[in-house]
Amino acid sequence: MAAALAVYAAGLMMLDISPTRVWHGLGQLGTIAGLMLPPSAGGHFLLYLDALGQTLSIAFLGTMLAAGVALPFGFLAARNVVANRMVHVLARRSLDTVRSIDVLVWALIWINVVGLGPFAGVLAIASSDCGSLAKLMSEAIETADRKPVEGVLASGGGRLMTIRFGLVPQVLPIFASQLLYFFESNTRSATIIGIVGAGGIGLHLYEQMRVLEWQEVAFLILMVLATVAAIDVVSRRLRLAIIGRRGA
Amino acid sequence: MLVLNDVTKSFGGSVAVSGVSMKVPSGQFVGVIGRSGAGKSTTLRLINRLTEPTKGRIGFGDLDVTALSGPALRDWRRRCAMIFQQFNLIGRLDVLDNVLMGRLTHTPGWRSAAKMWRRDDRAMALAALEQLGIAGLAAQRADNLSGGQQQRVAICRALVQEPDIVLADEPVASLDPRNAKIVMDALQRINRHFGLTVLCNLHSLDLARTYCDRLVGMAGGRVVFDDLPSALTESVARELYGLEANEVMGREPAADFAEWPAALTA
Repeated sequence: MAAALAVYAAGLMMLDISPTRVWHGLGQLGTIAGLMLPPSAGGHFLLYLDALGQTLSIAFLGTMLAAGVALPFGFLAARNVVANRMVHVLARRSLDTVRSIDVLVWALIWINVVGLGPFAGVLAIASSDCGSLAKLMSEAIETADRKPVEGVLASGGGRLMTIRFGLVPQVLPIFASQLLYFFESNTRSATIIGIVGAGGIGLHLYEQMRVLEWQEVAFLILMVLATVAAIDVVSRRLRLAIIGRRGA
Repeated sequence: MLVLNDVTKSFGGSVAVSGVSMKVPSGQFVGVIGRSGAGKSTTLRLINRLTEPTKGRIGFGDLDVTALSGPALRDWRRRCAMIFQQFNLIGRLDVLDNVLMGRLTHTPGWRSAAKMWRRDDRAMALAALEQLGIAGLAAQRADNLSGGQQQRVAICRALVQEPDIVLADEPVASLDPRNAKIVMDALQRINRHFGLTVLCNLHSLDLARTYCDRLVGMAGGRVVFDDLPSALTESVARELYGLEANEVMGREPAADFAEWPAALTA
């Protein structure tokens, strides 16, 4: 405990963090908050709406691309599908590697590869998420019930049929629910990566901050908030609809 | 004729089935009895190769079952349909699709993957459901059905495989007495009307005596009794089941309770 406190104090000193700076900053924060009122689109509403649409499509396409890449890897990394230890250890390790790089880093890499714009954003989201998605998928597959698999096997079904009928119907609703969750969180990520130039509403947010148009910054933040909340509600309904069909 | 010749299965150090040999003529209704862990399930699973034998040979007619692989093994599994204690249906699919799993070996992969079943296969599945009195449930999701209904769906799946043998692994152990009777009656009908060989693991001796032509008793992975049901005397049954004897013979446990105080004070 004492050691942790010492490390904490040392960190504060080294990074030049002092209460006075926070105090002065607090005043600044108040001023900015004041300048934000009332939020205003400054006549750029349609432009911002378009950018928001772009952000949503980055999130959507990125999630879909990630899912497409993750699906085969999810099955390869599942112990009950691929008996070969080498294959699934290899699949697991490569997924972990991809997963450990943050979306912002991926965005910066892809901007250098394919140039500024939404395409880089889509690729960034896809590359950072395919690892986590594949891992989650493989775990869903591994916890699937073995009984339907044996049922299909005992009826004379081959390997692919046991996957198609024994596993896929079990894991599909779980996959769908995972995808919806990733889409939700990617709407937030897509805003952030817009700031480094990967397209979407984040770019406008950053520009308006630089030119100190705080009313428009506030407006943009509210737009993102409303969108994320709306997606939240819609995806929760969809998830329930997908999972809860039992007993209908 | 199904022939098991000195079949052994060991898992790691423990032997589940040890040197089992038997001949089952076509059309016989064989009950495999014994207490839990006697190797009954493993024996059945060895026959359709869900479990690989460690040693020994299984044959059916001219077919060397133990040597099969690939499509030949899948076709053998079609010919010896299995019915499970827990039904092993696909809960999220409807009843008809579940029954049509029995047609997988007859259907090209792309067709079954897209569930584009052939018309006559669908008709066959429906006819099977009708025979078991559950055609009205064809469009229901399997996991919405009661246990008895699910087991009947599983029997339909077995029937449309057009099998020679039906392997039933404790088919009524998770059902109430009424449903147990329905399912056992259905198995009997399959045996009598279609002449299919039935190998049925049963825990309950009463059911075994009522339905089977022949009883095979197992204990500790070995066959210790193989005769007509009438030859199974009470003393043999006690030997087979040990402490479980009263429970499986469907007798009132009152006699036991009466003996308890004496046993406790002794």
